[in-house]
Amino acid sequence: MKLFVSEGNPHCLKVLAVLELTGVKCAIQHVIHDEKVVSYLNRPSLPALLLPSGMPLFSANAICRYLGESVGLQCSDLSNQWLEWEATELQPALAQGLHLAVLQGKGPEACRVLQGPLTYLEQSLSKTRTSFLTDDIVSVADVVLWAALYPILSDISLLSGEQTKVQNWFERVGLLAACKSAAQSVLQGKGLNAEVLKTYLQKQPAPPQRRDIQPCN
Amino acid sequence: KMALRELSSLEKALGLKKPNKYSTQGDNKQVPVLQSNSGPALSGLVTIATHLVKQANRADLLGESAEHRAVVQQWLEYRVTKVDGCQKEEIKPILKDLNSYLEDKVYLAGNQFTLADTLMYYGVHHIIMDQSVQDKETYVNVTRWFDHVQHYPGVRHHLHPVVILKNRLYTSSHH
Repeated sequence: MKLFVSEGNPHCLKVLAVLELTGVKCAIQHVIHDEKVVSYLNRPSLPALLLPSGMPLFSANAICRYLGESVGLQCSDLSNQWLEWEATELQPALAQGLHLAVLQGKGPEACRVLQGPLTYLEQSLSKTRTSFLTDDIVSVADVVLWAALYPILSDISLLSGEQTKVQNWFERVGLLAACKSAAQSVLQGKGLNAEVLKTYLQKQPAPPQRRDIQPCN
Repeated sequence: KMALRELSSLEKALGLKKPNKYSTQGDNKQVPVLQSNSGPALSGLVTIATHLVKQANRADLLGESAEHRAVVQQWLEYRVTKVDGCQKEEIKPILKDLNSYLEDKVYLAGNQFTLADTLMYYGVHHIIMDQSVQDKETYVNVTRWFDHVQHYPGVRHHLHPVVILKNRLYTSSHH
């Protein structure tokens, strides 16, 4: 098995943290952002995992699930729900928020874009009695959400101060050795100010204003 | 509402006798929510569809090995992140991705039909409906896959069949 990752990419942070957490044996190759690893996709897409069968996986969340499952961490309904929410609701807001904050220096506007998802996360955490999103032990979903939010939440000034549950949960997950070392390797332990994050974002297409978009059907 | 129709078709395809109760949430009321008497509600199309498949004891539709399950999950995610809400100019890249991926495969996860095929079929149906004969020839692997899936027992339900002109397709691909 071989994992392809690039610097500064929060999706690579997800898979490296889960890889360390699970202890799955896998070769890691560092490549540049536009390296085309998955031949059938138009656009370069990282991270990518070459499965033992030779089939590549291009979705960071699917890679994390696979690594988790390899050591018996099955995704529950609740984990599935968080992973789907991360991909469909949080990611579009993050793409826009990171673009605004890092490339355009518009921190307050980034905050506004992320307000909805962060409030949802805060409310959900207020309702749970467990230390993590789904259980008292950390799940793949916790690490995926933590990594996605790492650049934003490691910058305290972008938090409204009302999201104390989110902040506590974020710190709890971040204490894991796997998360610390992955953050060091992908983002040099820095959040929004990491030069590698900026380089990564510059290579991404400008995020569409998802909220105003009507579906094409 | 699209999602709710899909889930009701999926329930029928899975042979679930008692229909579940649903609502929607989110800005455009696009996110389906499964109501439950026994536990908290579940939200999200893929999450609910996965739950229904397990409820029907058809976990095989989620893939039979860990690798297989990861591939199924990847395409389920592709459906809800890339295909849903796509703009006109995003349709071509999506069809190109799918077309080169399906070149050597019968279904999205290889030779076995899975939940990924059902949901991707529901998701791209309106795109394929609008396609010209030329488009169908350009994305010949997508067309072949689509035709397999729409004829797969129990899948089509709420959707119109799309007529695929096989003769033309097959002659043109032999040139």
